[in-house]
Amino acid sequence: VSRAGLVPAGVTLLFVALVMAPSGCGRKAAAPEAPEVPASAPTAAPVAAEVPAAAVPVPKATITVWFPSAAGDTLVGETREIVDTLRPDDRGAQILAALLEGPKTGAALPAVPPGTKLRQLWIRPNGIAWADFSTELASGMDGGSDGEILAIYAIVDSLALNVPAIRRVGILVDGRERETLGGHVDLRRPLAPDTSLAAGAPKG
Amino acid sequence: VQQFLAVNSPRLVLLAACLAAVPAFGAAEPVPVTVSIDTSGPSTRAVVTFKAPVAYRVQEDAGRVMVVCEQPLAPEIAERVLEDGIVKGFVVQGDHEIAFTTGRGYRRLESFELKNPSRLVLDFQGDRGARSVPAVVPGGGGQTIIVIDPGHGGVETGAIGPSGTKEKDVTLDLARRLKALLVKQGVTVVLTRDEDRVLPLDDRTAIANENRAELFVSIHLNASKRKSAYGAETYYLSTDATDDEARTLAALENKAYEPPGVTPPPGIAPADKSLELILWDLAQNSYLAESSRLAVSVQKELNDMTGVRDRGVRQAPFRVLMGATMPAILVEAGFISNPDEEARFKDDAYKDKVAAAIARAIAGFRRSVAALDTGPAASGAARP
Repeated sequence: VSRAGLVPAGVTLLFVALVMAPSGCGRKAAAPEAPEVPASAPTAAPVAAEVPAAAVPVPKATITVWFPSAAGDTLVGETREIVDTLRPDDRGAQILAALLEGPKTGAALPAVPPGTKLRQLWIRPNGIAWADFSTELASGMDGGSDGEILAIYAIVDSLALNVPAIRRVGILVDGRERETLGGHVDLRRPLAPDTSLAAGAPKG
Repeated sequence: VQQFLAVNSPRLVLLAACLAAVPAFGAAEPVPVTVSIDTSGPSTRAVVTFKAPVAYRVQEDAGRVMVVCEQPLAPEIAERVLEDGIVKGFVVQGDHEIAFTTGRGYRRLESFELKNPSRLVLDFQGDRGARSVPAVVPGGGGQTIIVIDPGHGGVETGAIGPSGTKEKDVTLDLARRLKALLVKQGVTVVLTRDEDRVLPLDDRTAIANENRAELFVSIHLNASKRKSAYGAETYYLSTDATDDEARTLAALENKAYEPPGVTPPPGIAPADKSLELILWDLAQNSYLAESSRLAVSVQKELNDMTGVRDRGVRQAPFRVLMGATMPAILVEAGFISNPDEEARFKDDAYKDKVAAAIARAIAGFRRSVAALDTGPAASGAARP
């Protein structure tokens, strides 16, 4: 396969990036410097493997993931450690992975329907993040505006209150724009975080 | 695939449309399809989006335009009725056909294709004339019209209670009770739906706008995973949904969508849509203060009725409130997910009480508007 080097390298890289994008968010986040590794250097991996793990401590950052409260119609924060990366999309993907994994305390409820997966997340220079989820996000809604509002703002607030580069979040389902998830909240445009729902979050 | 274009239609208006070979889907695999219709322009435009390439033909016969597909279809919405003089609606029939019923104003069809995703754009041209919104009250000038919107409907059941009560049924029931009470106040009431059917969110607001309604009240029931969730809540549109930054960003977003090296997702708003959104958003923006006061009035009556003291009004970017050119609120009359409340919504006396509370609030709001009304040129709110 490597002998197919007549294909321009850029095309190959782009192809790899596209193929990996839907599923590779977590891995990308764990190796933020990956794009700097020359793709044509097969020796890079063995060299990296010889470095003792303890010698390269992975910097961690503590963030707050927002879940629907078990007690009232607000969001409650649970802290998580993520790999401290400067890349906003890696940060965002780790945050959404934690959100989709679900809460770890009894004070919070799952934010999204079971089986919901992140297909893709990307962040534009103008501060808008687009988060593309699998169909379950819409098909698993229970029909009430309560769950719809809390699911949407759990996503929006978890991203926008933890990643400074994100000011608004657009939600897509199965790669497409949707008018609403379940007939209530307008999803045609990116939403700003609602700090009135995220109890204890810094305002503004 | 090409041979499929042989046609037996009386008037064939468009052939074409083998969008590609069909490698991914077997011949019998239903292809997800969505049909969106825009009646805001001079023509009525339907966009048929196929999730996979589909071979189809377009044919026309008396009063109908048919898109006949080779593969079976899995429509997101199988039927829609429009208040439009050019296209009266569509229905997906027999798995393979999308049939559009044309109205009196229809003259001729133009069509073209778009790719990624595969889309067929049908431009129904003609003369819309006066929009034939059946819900418009004839000779409505001078009357006070209030539009009540029973949430959900048809296959969109809304929330379902633990013992099976469907939100769509209760919202229609409550809306009819509220209508009866408002009619006694001398108000003309239009229900956005008076039967169990799907009604797009856009159309609900459009019915209020077309009728030049004085108020728009959407009625819903809530559901929650929290066992404790209980009681009535009244919403009006959140300011974020209408603020300047949102509009500016929406416009920018549509101008330059593609991030470097990433394929933009299909279905992102084309540029012309942003203008439409901006105009609609401005519409409700002008009424937020009144919407807020109406919401406070309704919430107070609901609190008094249920004995709750401290519950305030809420705001959310609800789609159905966006674009209403009048004070507009959404009432979540209770949590159908709560077994006690679900049981209450089976009780006629309780439903009468809820309707009466909302009707009292509307009467109170209209009196306060009348008190502010300084001249005969002001809105008809003062006259019952």
